[in-house]
Formats: sequence, structure tokens, C-alpha cells
Amino acid sequence: MTKKQTCIFLIVIAVVVAALLAGIVLTDGLYESETTIQETMQDAVLHEGDKISLFGLPVNPGLISAFSVTAILLVFAAIVRIFVIPRFRFVPGKFQLLLEQAVGMFDGLAKGNSPHRNGFLGAYVFAAGAYIFVGTLFELVGAPVMTMAGASVILPAPLADINGAIALGCLSYLVILSGGIVSNKLRGVGRTLKEFSLPISMSFRLFGALLSGALVTELVYYYLALSFVLPVIVGVLFTLLHALIQTYVLTMLTTLFYGEVSEPYVKRPKAKKDKRQNKTSHSEATV
Amino acid sequence: MPLQLAAVPLNIDWQQVLLHVLNFVILFAGLWLLLYKPVRSFMQKRREHYEKMDADANAKNAAAEEKKAAYEQKLAAADAEAEDKRRAAERAAADYEAEKRAEADAFAKQVVSDARRDAAQIKAQAVSEARGEIADIVSEAVGKVVLEDSTSEAYDQFLDAASAPAEK
Repeated sequence: MTKKQTCIFLIVIAVVVAALLAGIVLTDGLYESETTIQETMQDAVLHEGDKISLFGLPVNPGLISAFSVTAILLVFAAIVRIFVIPRFRFVPGKFQLLLEQAVGMFDGLAKGNSPHRNGFLGAYVFAAGAYIFVGTLFELVGAPVMTMAGASVILPAPLADINGAIALGCLSYLVILSGGIVSNKLRGVGRTLKEFSLPISMSFRLFGALLSGALVTELVYYYLALSFVLPVIVGVLFTLLHALIQTYVLTMLTTLFYGEVSEPYVKRPKAKKDKRQNKTSHSEATV
Repeated sequence: MPLQLAAVPLNIDWQQVLLHVLNFVILFAGLWLLLYKPVRSFMQKRREHYEKMDADANAKNAAAEEKKAAYEQKLAAADAEAEDKRRAAERAAADYEAEKRAEADAFAKQVVSDARRDAAQIKAQAVSEARGEIADIVSEAVGKVVLEDSTSEAYDQFLDAASAPAEK
């Protein structure tokens, strides 16, 4: 780096720092919240004060997010089905490659973890993966909605709502159970019920992971001094990483347990005990 | 509020849980029909296409290998046949050469013997003719000698008579 370049670099850094400091000083007191951080975080978990009316039914913002995510995904899928898939080529372009990679990844995950039965599982984990990934990234959009109390709230990730997490966790468990029943009848039911804690662990893992992300973001956004530069890392990078990790975790767990319960039962021959050997060893032991 | 919290932990609402489930079922069905199934079937079709191409290429390769083996076999047979023919031709040529040489030898011998016989005949004939001529010359010379007066003249005549046939 030449002297001139070093000078330019230092000047740019100084200007950026000065602009940030000016922003911090000038915006101080502009965004004073009416609620305390405790109340904000309590709302983020319990959604007591931010109910939204869905045709007269009070629901959590997470449900509206879930419907929005579903709508977005279905519209996207319909557009792709109508305009893109008929133009697929044997040598794929970039977008076709992306779609094929997504489908192939979940299909491969299902085949790899559940080799005996995976047709339905692949489609399920594809849908669940797309839902979790897009749903988690949806909070970055920051779409505002009006609550029943007249306040404005930003739509969170659908799975940051405990009801959404329980729905997906229990549904995944039911899918695993169905795989066990179809493959091994009663034995499959037994194998699935053996993992009775699975729906709770799956639900609360999703909820806890996404809620912790939401809480950290809330904390960062609550304090004005932290609302420069840092939200880019916390809001975008953490959410992106979060989306990938949660998608991978739930789909991987579902396919693994599905593969375990749908594995065909193999009767193992019982090892016959050699009476003579037993007698000898017994006598040796006695001696 | 605290009473509600105690009644329903974490404000879990089973109606909303069911709404979430319904939402996800709709999403699952939609994604399966619109995206997953068509993309997967396309990928399957492409896989089958390339597998068929691969199988065709393998079949063609096998057929080409078979043809190559057959051609090599034929080539080997042709080489062997050509070698046999070459050997037969060499044998025939050698036989022909020997035959021709024998014929030529016989002819040469015949020519030589004929020539010798002719030469002997010509020689005998020449000798006999020369004898006759000599006898004639001698008798003619004797007659002339006898008839001429001088001996020297007679001798000259004799010499003239003797050199006359040689000049002819």
C-alpha cells in the first residue's frame, strides 16, 4: 500500500467514525420507547400485548408471519412451476442449478438417513426446510402490522412463536410415527413411542433457538448506542446463520429418527448356550 | 395476567397450534405439487436419459469391440492364407525354375551335342573335300610337272595352284 492509499484509507475511516458519532449524538432521545426492556422481552416470548386480529380471532404475530411465509413460498413455487420448470434444460443454468441443489439436498438427506423408506420424507423435509429457512429470514423484512391494541409491531419469525414451534415439532413427530407404522406396524409405533420426548425437544429446540435470536436482536435494538453497525452483524449475519443451522438441525433429526423407526426388523438368532462349556466354566469358577 | 400465565404455560394456544399445522400442511402440499415433484421428476428424467446414453455407448462399445475382434480374427486368417499362398507360390516358382533350368540344361546339352555333331560332320566333310581338292591339285600338279619342261616353271605353277583355293 502506497502512502497516498494509506492516507485515503485513514481519512475514510475517520469520516465514517465521525459520522457515526454525530449520528449517535444527534439521534439521542429520538426513539424513546414507551415500554421497558422487560416488557418488550416478555411480549416477545408471551405475546400478551401484541395480539393481532385474524378475522376477529386474536392471534400471535407469529401466525401472521407463518401465513405470509406460506403465501410467499407458494407464489414463488407457482411462478417457478409455470415459467421456469417448463424451460429446464439438461445442462442447467444458475437458477435451475439452485433449485436442483435444494431439492437434491433434501432428497439426498432423506435417502441417506432413511434408505428403506424415503419418498414422502424427502418432500416433507424439503417443505420443512424451506419453511424454517424462509421463515427465519422473514424477520429481516421487518413487516409492520397493527395490533388489536392499536400499536405497531414487526412480524417476527413464525417459529419464534411457541405455537408455531410446537406445531412443527409435533408434526415432525407424527411424520416419524407414520413412517414407523407404515414400515413396521406395531413395532414401529413402539420404536417411535420410545422417543416420547422427541416432540417436546424438537418444539422447544426450535422455539428456544429462534427466541434467543429474537431476544438478542431486541436487546441490541433497544439500546440506541448499539444500533449502529452492530445490527448489521446481529440482524443479518446471525439470522442467516440461524436459518441455516435450524433448517439443518430439524431436517437432520427428522430424517434420522424416521430412518431409525422405518428400518425393517431383522430377527437375530439367539446364541445357543453350550451346556458343557457352561458347566466347565462354572466348575472352574467354583474352584 | 399472572393468573393466565399460571393457567397456560408460555401462553400456548392449541387453536393457534392447529392453525400453524394447517398452514404447514397447505405449504407442504403446495411445495410438493408445484416444486418438489416436478423438479425431482425432471432430475429423474435427466438421470434416465444419461443412463440410457451410457448404456447405449456401452452397447456400441461392446459391438465395436466384437467387430474389432472379428476383424482381427479375419485379418489373422487372411494373413495366414496370404502366407500359405506366398509359400505355395514360392514353391511353385522354385519348381518352375528348376523345371525350366532342367529344360534349358537339356536344350543346351542338345544344342551343344547337335553343334558338335554338325561341327564333326562339317569337319569331316571339309576334310574329305580338302582331301579331294588336294588330290586333284596334286594330280593336276603332277600332270603339269610332267608335262612342263622346266622344273622351276612347274614349281611355280604348283605354288599358284596351291594358293588359288586359299584365296577363294
